[in-house]
Amino acid sequence: MPVSWVRRLRRWLPAALVLAAAGFAGALFVAGSGVVSVAASRGHFPFVEGLLEWAMRRSVQHHAEDLAPPDLDSPDRRSLGAAHFHGGCAFCHGAPTIPISPVAQHMLPPPPDLRRAAAEWKPQELFWIVKHGLKYTGMPAWTSQQRDDEVWTVVAFLRQLPALDARGYRDLAFGPMVPPPPDGRRVATEGALSDAVASCARCHGTGDRGPVSNLVPVIHGQTEAFLTAALQAYAEGRRESGIMQPVARALSSQELLQVAAYYARLPRPPRQSAEPPATEAALERGRVLAADGSTSDHIPACLTCHGGRGLALYPILLGQPATYLAGQLRLLRDTTARRTETAAIMAPIARRLSDRQIEDVAAYLASLAGRSP
Amino acid sequence: MNDHSVLAPQSPDAARIAELAWTLFGMAGVVIVIVLLALALALRGSSATRARLATRAMIVGAGIAFPGVVLTLLLAYGTWLMRVGDAEALPPDTLRIEVTGEQWWWRVAYVDAQGQRIASANELRIPVGRTIELSLASADVIHSFWVPRLAGKLDMIPGRTTRLHLRADHAGIFRGQCAEYCGGAHALMAFEVIALAPDEFETWLRREAAAAAEPASEAGRQGRDLFLAAGCGGCHAIRGTEASGTIGPDLTRLASRRWLGANTVRLTADNLAAFIVSSQHLKPGNRMPEFRVFSAEEFSVLTAYLAELY
Repeated sequence: MPVSWVRRLRRWLPAALVLAAAGFAGALFVAGSGVVSVAASRGHFPFVEGLLEWAMRRSVQHHAEDLAPPDLDSPDRRSLGAAHFHGGCAFCHGAPTIPISPVAQHMLPPPPDLRRAAAEWKPQELFWIVKHGLKYTGMPAWTSQQRDDEVWTVVAFLRQLPALDARGYRDLAFGPMVPPPPDGRRVATEGALSDAVASCARCHGTGDRGPVSNLVPVIHGQTEAFLTAALQAYAEGRRESGIMQPVARALSSQELLQVAAYYARLPRPPRQSAEPPATEAALERGRVLAADGSTSDHIPACLTCHGGRGLALYPILLGQPATYLAGQLRLLRDTTARRTETAAIMAPIARRLSDRQIEDVAAYLASLAGRSP
Repeated sequence: MNDHSVLAPQSPDAARIAELAWTLFGMAGVVIVIVLLALALALRGSSATRARLATRAMIVGAGIAFPGVVLTLLLAYGTWLMRVGDAEALPPDTLRIEVTGEQWWWRVAYVDAQGQRIASANELRIPVGRTIELSLASADVIHSFWVPRLAGKLDMIPGRTTRLHLRADHAGIFRGQCAEYCGGAHALMAFEVIALAPDEFETWLRREAAAAAEPASEAGRQGRDLFLAAGCGGCHAIRGTEASGTIGPDLTRLASRRWLGANTVRLTADNLAAFIVSSQHLKPGNRMPEFRVFSAEEFSVLTAYLAELY
């Protein structure tokens, strides 16, 4: 029995090899001849499209299997995700009141309308797609592979998106900000409504309004030097963020200085959304760490630099949202997403902080009244 | 080279260690000569000599009794020579200095007559001829305090205080080194003991105890403001200023020290600036973050200020 099997194989093997080589050469010849059209205008053969789609879905399901989503009902995540979606994703994927751009509709494959398609995916699958992008489609990877925290905000919003009407979307993506009334000259010179609402203000607020989410820092009244350095670091990719990098990169160097100067002069806005209160004990532990530091843990007192009397390059952390502070400390501790001169000072210190120390000190700093210029 | 040699003792303790070492070397030399002689005779000697070497009396006498007696005598001699001095016999003018091993530097506190502690770091100054009692402790892992020309090594053990007495007979500079592997920058954890004439030491200690003076130059004042604004005071103390950090070395008298970074590099303005901007390059793993935020001008005022801290 085994002998005849081997004999049969020996008889057919050369023929099979020749066939395979001929097939490969034929494929090379067809590709090299240039007759195969890669035109997006022509689409795929239906069976090719089916195959590609099936493989894509299987790949996403497989890779997303073990991911554990954080709390996706958090209003902080949802509103930051919405504000980013409006600027970064709606052009291709549409949103209530925003039709998919005809330009995007002519991509191959055309980007799905997420008002419907978002519901087809599990949250962790959406996360995987948003973070890694999809090969052979127009879907790009997230700008930073170290900012899972940001990707989850988009997922939190996407889960909400199918249920949103125009008004619900507006409230989420713009907060209470009222766009200026349409005016022919403005539209003609500055572009349509969606562009006219400034990128910074959508998340950080403006004169009378603070950030839309506790994941976003209060930049009102920070020094011009700090804001400029932060924007430059984002623009040059030395500070990673899928949300901030594209925005900072789009600014001219003149605009960058102007917007830094603008926010530096703004008075501190009222608190936008409350955060879960910290216990007295946690606040006290945070106070000791912020005011005195810890010699045994080699952690200097936060307020030495961040209380408003430090270098102009150091951010003032009084009254920042605790959620934001804790998130940034974890980024400094656990990733290399920040590679600036100031991160070189802070990261070694952040690496000495325990999770509890991060929560405590963030809660304490958040409880302090902010400084107005 | 000589400033780290066990064989060039400069204190009674170190002299006894050297004496013991020489005695042991000497005895070892005598024994090895005898053994080699016996070997030569066993290989090349006449048959009568070889027969004599192989007798039972020779084996018991030279092979068992001789080493037993010699080693017992040496042990007794060594134990007697290195006996721990009676603590109560310390002279009344004994100077107490607390030294704490940290990863990877030495925290120093001189205890004055009133029991006040005068903080310093990475350098010990002692008066010639006076007995010094060192209280050795550790803030993290086991370190070992070793100044070969002045005393034997003594471990610094977390949770315990060990005591080491030493006395320098002559003025001079004696190098010390952490002698127990304590982590990444262990090799760069050294220090110097500087023995001064007694009156010179008293003058120095009075100066050391005082707060830092107001900077004399305009650059110094700017440098001080920069030092405080940059947050250096979160880790370093300079008495007389707001800088009161206790995480890193006390810098009140930084400019009077000869070395930087626990004897990593000599203390010069250039090395100071280099240490501030790339401490991880000069002393990999040390706890000081790199401050790349300063301009050349800021460095010059900062080092001008630090140079005034003597």
